[in-house]
Amino acid sequence: MSKHRVSRRQFLSYTLTGVGGFMAAGMLMPMVRFAIDPVLKAEAGGDFIATPLKIKDITTEPQRVDFTFEQKDAWYTSDVTNTAWVYKDEQDNIVALSPVCKHLGCTVGWASSEDHPDQFFCPCHFGRYTKDGTNVKGTPPLAPLDVYPIQEKDGLLYLGKAEPRTKEA
Amino acid sequence: MKWVSKDIEIYLTAKEYVDTAVIPLYSVSFGNEMKQSASNAEFITLLTNYLERQFTGRLMLVPPYTYLKSDQYEDIINGLKKWEENIDKEQFKHIFYITSEIDWKNFEDELKGSLIWLPSLPLEHLNESQRISMVESQVKQLQSLFTQKWHENL
Repeated sequence: MSKHRVSRRQFLSYTLTGVGGFMAAGMLMPMVRFAIDPVLKAEAGGDFIATPLKIKDITTEPQRVDFTFEQKDAWYTSDVTNTAWVYKDEQDNIVALSPVCKHLGCTVGWASSEDHPDQFFCPCHFGRYTKDGTNVKGTPPLAPLDVYPIQEKDGLLYLGKAEPRTKEA
Repeated sequence: MKWVSKDIEIYLTAKEYVDTAVIPLYSVSFGNEMKQSASNAEFITLLTNYLERQFTGRLMLVPPYTYLKSDQYEDIINGLKKWEENIDKEQFKHIFYITSEIDWKNFEDELKGSLIWLPSLPLEHLNESQRISMVESQVKQLQSLFTQKWHENL
């Protein structure tokens, strides 16, 4: 037997505080969640997507990598295949460039123009980019190619969502 | 550019760069030929969409001209000619029709644009990656055709 005898009054007040506390928490939780909702939201598009390219196969020559992911367009879900140009730069950093021309969105190719074998070339309006994605002055594009954030997992290359570069040519 | 408001908005600000219109031609038939008709349309849809992705900045992918295969040929061609008349000649110097319907070959001369006929491939039996590489190889050939046409009129 414990020495502290709990009186009826004490017992009731403990019980009431406990129950009241739960009820208050139950009411406040949704309110708080509602208030800080933007913080809780999972970041859309932050996911990295696996590509079939092995890290050790990346060379200094840009190569084309296709990767597929699911895209939702309103209620219509479809598999979308995107492309990246991947290579290692002089400092051995892996660079993954988006092939979407910053002019009007055509697909650029590496060395697809005979006159400029070491540049990215856009067949639509002859836009050009140097190997690091910087737009060549005097050609239509006004910004460098977007860059994919990269991750390595199990020896494979993972790509995030392409981000624009701020550096101007 | 696709026929969606976002792309058209870009088009309106960059008209001088977009000089090519691509019109897919779909024939629709019911009954026994229904499956073939759908398979043709599917192939042309995939192909033109991929083509649009390569040349987004220079071509406008117009909604397909769709007609009943059982209709009179004069009517079908007159319908397409009306489209031709409505497309702004100043804006779109090049018009391409893409179809897998061989009958169009007979009427090629009557059309102002260039007709591209491609035999339809049965894509339904292929898996995703095979499909892509198949369509890609076809589009690659089309791409050189397009760039060639563009060079002619420089």
